[in-house]
Amino acid sequence: MSEVLPNEASTSPAPVMGSLLRQLTQGAGLIVILYVALYAIYGYLQPRALEPYAIAALMNNTAPLALAAAGQTFVVLSRGFDLSLAGVISICNVTLAVVPIEGPGGAALSVLLCLAIGASVGAVNGFLVAYLRLQSIAATLATMIICQGIALVILNAPGGFVAEWIVYEMTDRLWGLVPVSGLVVLSVVALWLMLRRTDFGVAIYAVGADEQAASLSGVNVRRVRFGAFVGAGLLYGLAGFMLSAQTATGNPNSGTPLLLLTFAAVALGGTSLAGGRGGLFASVIGAATLTLLQKVLFSTGVSSFYTGIFQGAVLILAVVFSTAISRIGEEK
Amino acid sequence: MTGAVAVAGGEAVPGAALELRAEGVCKSYGATVALEHADIALQAGEVHALLGENGAGKSTLVRILTGAVTPDAGRMYLHGAAYTPHSITDARAVEVATAFQELSLVPNLSVAQNLLLPRLASSRSGLISRADVLAKGREILLRHDLERIDPAAEVARLPLSDRQRIEIARAAENAGRVLILDEPSASLAETDWLFAQVENAKARGVAILYISHRLAEVRAICSVATVLRNGRSIATVDLDDASDGDIFEMMVGHRVDPARPAARSTSGPREARVAVTDIAGSELNGVSFDLNAGEVLGVAALEGQGQRELFRCLAGVQKPEAGEIRIDGRPASYRSPRQALRFGSGVSYLPEERKTEGILAGLSAATNVVLPFLPRISRAGMVGQGREVSAAQDAANAVEMNPRYLTFPIGELSGGNQQKALMARTLASGAKTLLLFDPTRGVDVGTKESIYAAISAFADEGGSVLFYSSELPEIVQLADRCLVLYGGRVFESFSGEDINEQRLVAAMIGHHDATGQEATR
Repeated sequence: MSEVLPNEASTSPAPVMGSLLRQLTQGAGLIVILYVALYAIYGYLQPRALEPYAIAALMNNTAPLALAAAGQTFVVLSRGFDLSLAGVISICNVTLAVVPIEGPGGAALSVLLCLAIGASVGAVNGFLVAYLRLQSIAATLATMIICQGIALVILNAPGGFVAEWIVYEMTDRLWGLVPVSGLVVLSVVALWLMLRRTDFGVAIYAVGADEQAASLSGVNVRRVRFGAFVGAGLLYGLAGFMLSAQTATGNPNSGTPLLLLTFAAVALGGTSLAGGRGGLFASVIGAATLTLLQKVLFSTGVSSFYTGIFQGAVLILAVVFSTAISRIGEEK
Repeated sequence: MTGAVAVAGGEAVPGAALELRAEGVCKSYGATVALEHADIALQAGEVHALLGENGAGKSTLVRILTGAVTPDAGRMYLHGAAYTPHSITDARAVEVATAFQELSLVPNLSVAQNLLLPRLASSRSGLISRADVLAKGREILLRHDLERIDPAAEVARLPLSDRQRIEIARAAENAGRVLILDEPSASLAETDWLFAQVENAKARGVAILYISHRLAEVRAICSVATVLRNGRSIATVDLDDASDGDIFEMMVGHRVDPARPAARSTSGPREARVAVTDIAGSELNGVSFDLNAGEVLGVAALEGQGQRELFRCLAGVQKPEAGEIRIDGRPASYRSPRQALRFGSGVSYLPEERKTEGILAGLSAATNVVLPFLPRISRAGMVGQGREVSAAQDAANAVEMNPRYLTFPIGELSGGNQQKALMARTLASGAKTLLLFDPTRGVDVGTKESIYAAISAFADEGGSVLFYSSELPEIVQLADRCLVLYGGRVFESFSGEDINEQRLVAAMIGHHDATGQEATR
């Protein structure tokens, strides 16, 4: 299963067909095609789907899941699972609903607060997993439960109001065209592409593929793992911020529905759940596809009860398809 | 990590030209002493061999020198200053680099990325330039005569031999002072390239520690050898002055053989119960032998000479790519240990890894013993604990296992008793052929004796036993005949009084003993 190359120094003068197929399976090729195709269907069913306000609405719906999936990708790439996001997003959401700080300065303070919450929980996860050597799923399950408990202590029932500035500006469009939430996600992707070109970025892949070899090669495995959890936490914090902007209110369980969908988005993006292969951008598009699928189904009048069935089926198809394609690519 | 290695300004020690010196280092894991007392001194510009049997402490000493393991006691000096690495990175910071036996390349990264790990980015921008990484990688490959390897190729796609070469090239690149090569030729077909690299490093004034099981290779490239035995460094000798016999004696510890029990009576015509013809695949390159009724056949080999695959093929766990296995004259057609148990007179397998392949930790010892033949003792598909225990009783007696333990969950028993239970299971299966892979690994002396007695008794009753052991005295004591595997073949075979440790050791490292008999098959 080592045929898909996540690193950047991997192109080889292979036959055109083979390299094309590899290009497709590697990185985000397949999922981008899937997304564009789905968007075309959406546009066909809903002619207004291509108007700026519809695009912005879709972006606003997509952003929290996309950011959470991006965070999950950090941990999955380094071979681990992170369940704590459900708790982190809930805490950020209720905090913003209980302590609304108005104005642009307030928004800046709020986002810093969310990032701090995420980074702290990520640091705890990282400490438990990297230094105390707990299994990531067990450690983050514990922190998730604790964080959900904290969220309930802060706000024990849905309610409260998120600062108006955040609610309006973060879901708005710049110049009536560019959705702010889309820009936030885009800047995260840009940061990721930059990070990938650092020693830390390469080390995440190395640790995910073979921890022992990475360690013998001089990579500080513990620090990398710790860093991956903190990076993930920061993104969950940002996801909580964007979710609050979208819902405008607090809910101590707001993070929970995103939990399993992040894994679906990561897998849909072609990132190996066994670590070492994949990328953050693909997960973001994976998340966008899941959200778009909801919209498409809704616009075709399918009851929302069926959404889950379709999302699961698409996930299986995408994984089967990408495995099949990479196998063909391998034979070339 | 920082400050762990104090090199500059350490107290000057007489004879500071010694590049790396370790004195009295030792390491224990719990009650197990892996290294009792080792002294070794590597000189700059000299290739120093480290020799010893399996379990002599070689790998522990290597791990200590590379910083992967911290010794319990002892002192180490590099260039006359104290050397106390706490990690591989520490060791590398003072230019001590290692090519590991198990290879330490990251499979999903490119050759160039691996060569430069952990620092790929330029120090100015902190960002990695792909072109820059490739150029640097190409340069390193060129420096080590590997320009035919594409620096952009993903390591996982390269053949094992190239991966080993890259591992060695990377270590040589990072080794300014000390280069440790752990079994560097394990997957290389020829040694020309390797020796050229060693000579290069030597010319640069690097001290080289060369660990190999192949004595001919050691003689070709090394000038000095340190011999380890039972966790102690026995001697450091000049290789020009030491004969092969001297070295084997140092490795084994004595020339005299332990008393062998009287040879088993070989009355009656012997028929081959198991006949193996030219089986090959994975590590095996054509192995043939017969195993007769009433015979104990030992297999001696260093790690990774194909013994594992041989047993797995015979047990039905793995299918040989070529060759034939006949049981009682019929071609073996079983595909699993379960089928093997019922094939002909039956083949029962005691696997190597007790924890992962052998026991079902949550179930009682009795259940573990009777598992292979549950249907035989069940009544209408139901099995009561009483029946299990009584069925397991006889087998437990055969290995002198206290019947009291039969009702305990096997996971709670000591390692020795777990092994006895597994041995009992193998015996109780009713099979006439036993395949025992290292049956006494990690058990105490008393348990060993019980297991030896059970094996002998089984053979006396006409059973056939094929056993591999990493402990040579065991083979000498138990085996009627012994095969030595080397490089996936039967390198030599000994029988009766010819089985002694020195001959076995010589054959195990691919060395024909001139005085010994030639390979019989």
